[in-house]
Amino acid sequence: MIEIPPIVAIVLPLFGAFLTPIIAIVSRRFDVERKVCGWFMVAIMIAMLLVVVSMGARVWGGEIIIYKLGGWDPPWGINLAIDGLAFQMALMIAGLGTLVAIYSLAYMKRDSRFDLYCTLILLITAGMMGIVLTGDLFNFYVFLEITCISSYALVAFRRNSDAVEAGIKYMIIGSLGTSILLLSITMLYGSIGSLNIADLGQKLAMAKAGAEPVPMILVVALALFVTGIMIKVAMVPFHAWLADALTAAPTAISALLAGPVAVIGIYWVARIPYLPFGMPVGVILVALGIISMVVGVLMALVQTDFKRMLAYHVISQKGYMVLGIGLGTTLGLQGGLFHLLNHSTYKCMLFMCAGAVLHRTGSQKFDELGGLSKNMPITSSVFLIGALAISGIPPLNGFASKYTIYLAGVDAGQPIITAIAVLVSALTLASFLKAFSSVFLGQRPERFKDVKEAPMQMLFPMCVMAAICIVIGLLPALGFNIAGPAQTAAMNPGNYISQVLGGT
Amino acid sequence: MSLNYIVAMLLITLGLYCLLLKRNLIKMVIGLGVITDGIHLFLISMGYREGGIAAIVPGGMLQDNVAAGFASAAVDPIPQALVLTSIVINICIVALALSLTIWVYRHYGTLDPSEIRRLRE
Repeated sequence: MIEIPPIVAIVLPLFGAFLTPIIAIVSRRFDVERKVCGWFMVAIMIAMLLVVVSMGARVWGGEIIIYKLGGWDPPWGINLAIDGLAFQMALMIAGLGTLVAIYSLAYMKRDSRFDLYCTLILLITAGMMGIVLTGDLFNFYVFLEITCISSYALVAFRRNSDAVEAGIKYMIIGSLGTSILLLSITMLYGSIGSLNIADLGQKLAMAKAGAEPVPMILVVALALFVTGIMIKVAMVPFHAWLADALTAAPTAISALLAGPVAVIGIYWVARIPYLPFGMPVGVILVALGIISMVVGVLMALVQTDFKRMLAYHVISQKGYMVLGIGLGTTLGLQGGLFHLLNHSTYKCMLFMCAGAVLHRTGSQKFDELGGLSKNMPITSSVFLIGALAISGIPPLNGFASKYTIYLAGVDAGQPIITAIAVLVSALTLASFLKAFSSVFLGQRPERFKDVKEAPMQMLFPMCVMAAICIVIGLLPALGFNIAGPAQTAAMNPGNYISQVLGGT
Repeated sequence: MSLNYIVAMLLITLGLYCLLLKRNLIKMVIGLGVITDGIHLFLISMGYREGGIAAIVPGGMLQDNVAAGFASAAVDPIPQALVLTSIVINICIVALALSLTIWVYRHYGTLDPSEIRRLRE
């Protein structure tokens, strides 16, 4: 039987992206361009979400869904393979993509060229979907470039001085990262002679069994790969672009970049060291994770710009995920992947709150804002939920995943890691309390007296995400049901290899 | 054979030098291009074989005895396909980078990256 859903999940947004400009040209004649393009984008996203969800039951049943492009069998052709790990990411991308699309309907109201914006958003989603579903290294590189090029263009979308500055910085650092990844993929192909991840894993395991120590070229290739991914993920030595990009981009894009785009790199951190190499690069990841956690939160504490502060928290929170994955234990991996899911949800939501404030007041500076909780009660309560979730306060989802990571630290015999993680959480809370009090509490400047609540299309995605935060917080088992299969998949490369290569 | 690899590594190093140390956005974009070209040369050299034939099989030639001889004489076609794809991607990146550079020049009147720092203030 030919598996349809995996390829549809990629082709649908890709096809939609190329259709959007045509639809825009036609609908411009009737003067309904903005509405038609916007709702077309939302419809494509919802369709994609349904396609992804339809694969859920089978993947969680332990099956790996495989689609062979052009009918070629895995070691020769490109294949898409969906296991629990890929499914978790696909679900997150499709869900958050849908919410961001609805949000931007209202948020981009004042910008021209809305059709180009829709095209780029659909392209970025197609790229991300491809990254997580593909089972071929070079294919991964191509989809990564699709994602990155569209995100460079989206960061610089408004073309004012801030946007182009952030865009060019992001572009140069990001392209360097992808070049390094390409070099690493080249080395792997040169030494092993395969690009299929499952085949690569098998051959590497054989090569490693015969040769002790590990051949130098493989170590170099792995080092380059991790470096490239770390640049894309913005771990601390390479974090400079992220804060600028997230500050200057339209806020809907910041939400998308902070949520899904930045964390897909983490998916490959979880996938690559475990699958092809079969050896966790644990120590490096743990060290990078801790440095990012601490530096990110310290930088966030001194920021006076709403979005810039949130951006530094993105770096800090990603430290938790890399730390969890780097620990390499069942608990650590589960905590890291669960945190990835939670982080994308509440960080997307927090950026949307910042966007709502920016949309209504035109400012994102702490010292200009104040007292907005009377004007925007829903936004402020959603922001409070997000702030408590990110700080790991018990009844919310951030607590469940952070607690797992704390436990993993103790479990791995490194209580010092747990201590640092708890401390960073406390600093996060401090920083968010400062943000909350200076934006939503305190003296309200005279000119913000008539500020209204954000429009419905912005409130809806925010409330959905807040509900997810609360529900997962109250019933953490629900979240572990999603992260559990992902963790099993990451720890079990043998199953992946045998199903992809042997599966018919 | 080994000359290819040496030149490829030289190109990558030169590109990195250009990207990291030059203080002009256009030169940095050129550096990016040179790095990718070095990687492309590296990749294509791996599929090369002295006196190899093109990896194109006419129909009906795939009897067992012919196929074995063909496989030992043909060059590896995969790197060629990969390099083609990658060149196209690289063109997109350079084009977008240059257009962003034009916008930077319009807003800031300079191409020196150390002077383009309005965001930090």
